[in-house]
Amino acid sequence: MGIDVNFGWSSTIVKVILGATKSNGGTRRRSYQIGGGTTLPFLETTPDSSGPLIAFEICDDLQNWSPIVRNYCRDVVNDCGEWAHAADSVYGADMIRLYLTSTRQRNFSDIASVGKTVESVLSKTSLPLIIEGSNEPTIDSEVFLKCGEAGEGERLLLGTAEAGRYRSIAAAAMAYNHSVIAQSPIDVNLAKQLNILLKEIGVARDHIIIDPYTGSLGYGFEYSYSAMERIRFAALKGDSDLAMPIICSAIDSLTVKEVRDAEPALQDNIAVQWEFTTGLAAAAAGAEIICVRHPRTIPLLRKAFVSLKSEKIVAGGQ
Amino acid sequence: MTDVELAIKNGELQLKTAITTIQGTFSYDDTAYHLPISYALTGIPVHDRNTSLDVFSRTKDNPLVASEIILAKKTAQDGKEESPLTGFIGDSTIRKLGYSLVDGSILGLALIVGSPESTGSAAAICRELQEKYMLTFLAGPVIPSLSSAGVKLGLEYRLIPLGSNTLYGVHFVDIIARVAMMFGGVTPGDMHRLLTYAAERAKAIVIVLPGLSDEEIALVDSMRVLGFPILSLGDYKKGAWISSTPENIVRNGMELKGIRVNVTAIPIPMGCSPAFEGKSIRKEEMYVEFGGGRSPAFELLRMKNPGEIKDGQVTVIGPEIDSMKEGSANPLAIIIEVAGKTMKKDYEPVLERRIHNFVNYGEGSWHVAQRDLIWVRLSKEAVAKGVKIEHLGKLLASKFRMDFPQLLDAVSVTLITDNEKVLAAKNEAERIYDERDARIKGMHDGDVNTYYSCTLCQTFAPNHVCVITPERPALCGAISWLDGKIAYEISPAGANQPIEKGAVINALNGEFDGVNRFVKKASHGEIDRCSLYSVMEYPMTCCGCFECIALMLPEVNGIMVVNREFKGLTPSGMSFSTLAGTIGGGAQTPGFAGISKGYILSDRFLQGEGGIERLVWMPAQLKEELKPRLIKKFEDRGKTDLFDKIADETKAATIEDLMVYLDEVKHPALTMKPLV
Amino acid sequence: MKLAGGKTDVDFCPYLDDAAKAILGATTRPPIRLVKLGIGERSFAVGEEFVLYRHEKTFYHPPGILFKIADTQTLDEIRTVTTRVRDESFTRVGADLRFNGIAIDNTSGSPDTFARAVETVEKTADLPLVLMARDPAALSAALMHCGTYRPLIHAATQENYKEFCALAKHHGCPLVIKGNNIDKLAQLAKDCTAIGVQDLLLDLSPESLQAFIVRSTNIRQLAITRAAPDLGYPVFLDASIMEMQDAAIALGIAKYASVIISTPLSPATARAALTLRQNIYTDPQKPIQMNPGLYRVGNPGKDAPVLMTVNFSLTFFTLQGYLESTRVPCFMLIVDTEGLSVLTAVAAGKLSEMLVKESITKFAVEDEVSHRKLIIPGYASPLSGRIEEATGWKVMVGPRDAAEIGDFLNQEWKQ
Repeated sequence: MGIDVNFGWSSTIVKVILGATKSNGGTRRRSYQIGGGTTLPFLETTPDSSGPLIAFEICDDLQNWSPIVRNYCRDVVNDCGEWAHAADSVYGADMIRLYLTSTRQRNFSDIASVGKTVESVLSKTSLPLIIEGSNEPTIDSEVFLKCGEAGEGERLLLGTAEAGRYRSIAAAAMAYNHSVIAQSPIDVNLAKQLNILLKEIGVARDHIIIDPYTGSLGYGFEYSYSAMERIRFAALKGDSDLAMPIICSAIDSLTVKEVRDAEPALQDNIAVQWEFTTGLAAAAAGAEIICVRHPRTIPLLRKAFVSLKSEKIVAGGQ
Repeated sequence: MTDVELAIKNGELQLKTAITTIQGTFSYDDTAYHLPISYALTGIPVHDRNTSLDVFSRTKDNPLVASEIILAKKTAQDGKEESPLTGFIGDSTIRKLGYSLVDGSILGLALIVGSPESTGSAAAICRELQEKYMLTFLAGPVIPSLSSAGVKLGLEYRLIPLGSNTLYGVHFVDIIARVAMMFGGVTPGDMHRLLTYAAERAKAIVIVLPGLSDEEIALVDSMRVLGFPILSLGDYKKGAWISSTPENIVRNGMELKGIRVNVTAIPIPMGCSPAFEGKSIRKEEMYVEFGGGRSPAFELLRMKNPGEIKDGQVTVIGPEIDSMKEGSANPLAIIIEVAGKTMKKDYEPVLERRIHNFVNYGEGSWHVAQRDLIWVRLSKEAVAKGVKIEHLGKLLASKFRMDFPQLLDAVSVTLITDNEKVLAAKNEAERIYDERDARIKGMHDGDVNTYYSCTLCQTFAPNHVCVITPERPALCGAISWLDGKIAYEISPAGANQPIEKGAVINALNGEFDGVNRFVKKASHGEIDRCSLYSVMEYPMTCCGCFECIALMLPEVNGIMVVNREFKGLTPSGMSFSTLAGTIGGGAQTPGFAGISKGYILSDRFLQGEGGIERLVWMPAQLKEELKPRLIKKFEDRGKTDLFDKIADETKAATIEDLMVYLDEVKHPALTMKPLV
Repeated sequence: MKLAGGKTDVDFCPYLDDAAKAILGATTRPPIRLVKLGIGERSFAVGEEFVLYRHEKTFYHPPGILFKIADTQTLDEIRTVTTRVRDESFTRVGADLRFNGIAIDNTSGSPDTFARAVETVEKTADLPLVLMARDPAALSAALMHCGTYRPLIHAATQENYKEFCALAKHHGCPLVIKGNNIDKLAQLAKDCTAIGVQDLLLDLSPESLQAFIVRSTNIRQLAITRAAPDLGYPVFLDASIMEMQDAAIALGIAKYASVIISTPLSPATARAALTLRQNIYTDPQKPIQMNPGLYRVGNPGKDAPVLMTVNFSLTFFTLQGYLESTRVPCFMLIVDTEGLSVLTAVAAGKLSEMLVKESITKFAVEDEVSHRKLIIPGYASPLSGRIEEATGWKVMVGPRDAAEIGDFLNQEWKQ
C-alpha cells in the first residue's frame, strides 16, 4: 500500500463511563463507555466504544415540549416512569434523558417531587440516564442535590453546567459519582475554560461531557458542527482540556418553522428527517451522544450507526 | 493566664498515656472510612489496641489521632450521647455537607470550644456565623450555655452540637477528613495531600473560649497543622493562637482563611444594571453635576493592605445632596480603596476604568471620561427617589466586590464634595497618574521575560494568536501588555496566556524560540516562526480586526501603512478592505502585517526593516492624528524632517506618483538596504 | 497573490513562460480540480477545494444532488422526475435551493432504450446529466443526444477505461473513474489523464457508509497536502445503491462528496438534505444576511411592540423563533449591520444611532405604529441614550439573551 495518510494526531479522547451495572454498584442493565477515539469519527473503529449513543428525551412537564411528540407518543407522556419505560422497551433508545422541566416553572419549590420523579424513572427503566436539572440558580442547590442523591451509584450524567452556574451540579457529581454535561455557547475557547473551571473545583476529566450547544439544522447548525470539529481536532492534537466526548442536542429541531408550518401529513416525516440529519452530521463531526425527541428518529440513527461501525476499513480497500 | 505552650506539652503527655490504656474494639456505624482522621493520614483502619498503637506511632504521637481513638473507644464503651448532641455523624449526611461546601451554599466551617464568659457573647458569635453562611460545630460547655440562652441548635440552624465535652471537637476534623476523601480526591494514606486539601480547600476556623484543660489545648492546637487558624477569647498566652475580641473574632477568622461573603444586592434606591449603560442625562434632566470643566473632579483607585480598610465602608466628606442646589456644578472626588490577597498595584488603572461603567449602570447616574477629566451627573428623578451621594459610593463598593469576587476582599469608598479638600486630594491624584504613565512608557520589551498572548479572535480566525509585548500592543489596539498580564492573573484560564520569551534567535527581527514554540502550539501547528518586529520575514498573523495594515512597496523599497477608516486606493493598487481580505483569517503573509495605530509610534515598529525611516506613505488623516507624537519620535531619532517626507494620498496616490515624490524629497528608504 | 492562494490558474498569466508555468502550476493549482458539469443556466462546478475542515477557510462548491432514473421506467415517469428537478425550489434565507440534474442508468443494457431515456430527459429540461452505463455502445448512443451538453460519464474502470476515455475525450465530457482501492484509483487517474481526459471524478465504491467516510476523508487529506496529486479530483457518490440512502446523502454532503446521486427524495428528506447542504457550504467568515426591513410576527397592530435588531440571519431567526412562541404580535426592525451580530456590530461601530434613525425612516416605521417606543437588544445598551436623541423615540433595553424576550414583553410591555 503505497499511499499513507498521516493526520499527525498525538492524543486521544478521554473515556467516560455512563451507567453502572450491578457489579459496579448500580442497577442499570448496561453500562456504556464512550470516548477513547484516536482519530476522526468513524475512520477507525474503537472496539470498546459504545458510541454514538442515542438518547431519547422526556420531561415531566410538557408545557414547552413540541405537540408533535405528544401526538405520537400519546398518553404515556403523562407519566415520566411510563414514558421512560416506553423509550426503553418500545422506541429502542440507548439512554433516556429526563428533563425536569417542572423545576423551570416560576416559584417552583416542590423539591421532594424531583426525587420521586427521578426514582420513578430509575425504577421503570434500567438504561443509563441523563438528568437535566433546574435552570434557576436559586433552586439549583437543592434540585441537584436531590437528583444526585436519588441516583447515587448509577453513574448518571447530570446536566447542565455553564460558565456562571456550575457549582451545584459539580458538587452533585462529586458527591455521588456522576458525570457532568458542560455547555458553552458555540465557542471553543469558552468550552475549554469551563472544563478548566470544573477541573479546578474537583470534577475529574473522565466525568465531563462537552456540549458545544447545537443549533438546529438551518438555524445555526453549521456553527455547532464546526465547533465540534474544532474540539475534536484540538483534542487529538493534544489539548487535554478539550479531550472529552461531545453531546449533541438540537432541542429546537421540532419547533423550527419548517417543521411547525409543514402540512399535517408531512409533519412527522419532516420532524424526523430534521432530527436525523442533524444527529448524523453531528456524529460525523464527533458527537458521541445524540439526543432526539421523536421516537421514529431512533431506528434511523441506529441503522446508520451500524453501517458506520463495521470492521476496520483499510483506506486502500480490498 | 494559661500558658499555651506549656499546656500543649502536658496535654500531649497525658494523651500519650491515655493511648497506652486502650483495650477492646470499637468502630462507628454508617461510615466507610473507619476512624476517618487516622484512615486519611495513614490508610490504616483502626479498630483495636494494636492498630491504635500502630497509627499513633506512625503519626509520631499525634494528639489528634490520639483524641480520635480515645473518643471512639469512649463512644463504644459509654454509648452515644443523647440528642440533640450528634456525636459521630454518618457518611450520607457528610456527603450532603460536602456538597454544600462545593456548591457554595456554605462558605466555611467553624468549631467553637470552651466556656463562654457570658451567654450573650457566644450567642452573638453564633448569629454572626450563621449570617455569614458558615456551618458551625460546637463541643463542650458552650452548648448548654447557648441552649439556656434560647439559641436553637441543629443541622437546620447550621449550629451543630457535637458532644458534651471538648473531646467531641475531634468530629469536626473527621468530617473534614471525610470531605477530603469524598470530594478532594484524597486517597487514604496520602497524608501530604490531605494536609494540602485541608489547608487550601477546607475553609475552617477554630474559636476557643476560656477554660480548656491541657489535654484539650493540645487537641485544639494539633488542628493547626491542617491550616485552621485558632482564634481565642480569654487568657491564652504564648503559642500560635490569635487573640481577638467577641466583635471581631468571626471577621478575623474569615479574613485569615480568605472566606468572603459574596455581595449580591446593592442597597440603593435606584436601579443598577448594564441596561442603563447607554442612557445619558441631559441638562434638563439633571439635578447636579460634577466636573466636566465646570467644577473640579477626579477619580482614583488605590490598593491598600488587608486590614487597613473596612469592606463596604462609604464615607462622604463635605456636603450631601440635600445641600446642593438643583442645576449646580459641584466638586467631587471619587476615591476607591481596595484590598485583596492577590491584588497588585499594577491592577489599579485597570480597575479604575470600571468606575465609568459602574456609575453608568446606575439608572439615575451618568459618567464620562476618566482620571481628572470626569464629568458626572445625577438625575432629578433619582434624587427625588432618595438617591444621595453616599449611594453612589455604595453602588461602587458593591459592584467592585461583585465583579471581582476572587480578587478583592474589601472595598471602601470615600466621596469628597468639599472644594478645598477635593483640590488638595486632586494634586496627590495627579502625581499618581503621572507615576503610572511614566511606568508604562518606560517599559521595554527587554525588561521582561514574559509576553502575553491573546486568542480572543480565534472564533473568527482559528489559528491566529497575537503576541503582545510592552512595546507592541495587540493589533486590535485594545489590549496592552499590562492588560494581558492582568487579564491572565485575574482569569488564568482565559484568552490571555503567558509566553516565556526564551532565547533570542534574531534580535533585529524580534524572533525568540519561546515565542516560536508558543505560536506553533497555539496555531495548531500552522505557524512555525514569528518575528515580532519584522514585516518581511515571518510577520505575526492577523485575524481581521487590525486597525491598520503595514505592507511593503518593492518599487520604492519602503513600507506603507493604511488604516481602516481610509476608503480609497493606496499606492499598492489595493484598498484597505481588499488588503484585509487577503491577509486576514490567521494567515502569515510575508510583506504584510496587521497592526494597531499605537504600534506605529513604537520604537520596535519596522525594526526588522531598519526602522521608521522605511515608512513612505500613510493616509493624511492618520498622519494628522499621529502628528505630534510622530514628530516627537522623529526628533528623538534626530530625523526632524522625516515627517514631511512621508507621503499621503494628497501628495501621491499611485505608485508612480510615489516614486517621483520620494525621489524629490530624497526619502531615506530609497537608499536603504533592499527589501527584496 | 491570488495565485499564491490557489485561487486561480497559472495558465491565465500571460507573462509566464511554459517552464515557469509548469513549476508554479504544480504547486499553485487547486489541490482538487475544478470540474464543470452541464452547460447553460443549470450547469454547476465542483471541486477547487482547499481544506479538510470548513472552519479552516470554507468549502467552495456545494455538491450537486441528482435524481436517478432507470431507462426501464416509462417515459411518463421519466418526464415527471425531470420536471420535478427542473421546477422544484425551496427558498431559505434568501437562496433558492434546488436539485441539480438527472442521472440515467442503463438498467436495460440496451443502447436504444438508453438513448431514448436520455432523449426524453433532454426534451423535458436543460439539466446536467449523469450517464450511467457499463457498455460503451450504450454510452455512445446516449451521447448522440446529449454529448454537447457536458454530461458526466459513469464510470471508467481499469478494465474499460480506454474506451470510456475515448468517448469522454471525443465529446469533451467529464468522466467518473471507479475503484475501491485508492492506490489503484490514483494509477487509473494517471492513465486517464495520459490519454487526455483531465476532468475526472472519483467513485470510491463504498461497501458501507464507513468505507465512504474513510476513503473520502483520506483522499481529501492526501489531495490538500499534495501528498497524492493524482487523487486531486472531486468525489462521486451514488447514494441510491447504499443501504441507507438518506444517511449516505447527509454524510456525503458533510464528507466531501461533490456529486451525489439519489432516487427522487421524499419532501422531508429533500428539505433536510438541501438545508444541510446550504449549512455546511456556507462560508464561515461571511455570515448570511437578512434583507434589512420591517418584519411582522403575527398580525401586529398600531400598538404592537417594535423590536430592533441586526440583520445577521442567526440573530434574526433566533429572535423570530422566540417571538413567535410568545404569541405577541410585533414588528422586527432589522437594520443593516452587514451581517454582523449585535455584539460585534456594537463593538465595530456598525450598529449606530444614525443607522437606527435611517432605518426607521426608510422602512416607514412611524406609519405602522402610533407609539414611539423602541426595544433594543441588551448588548446594545451603550447606544440607548444616543438612539433616543437621534430618533426622538423612547428606548427600552431588552434582555441580552433572546430566550428571555417572552418574560421581558410580559413584564415590561404594557400597552
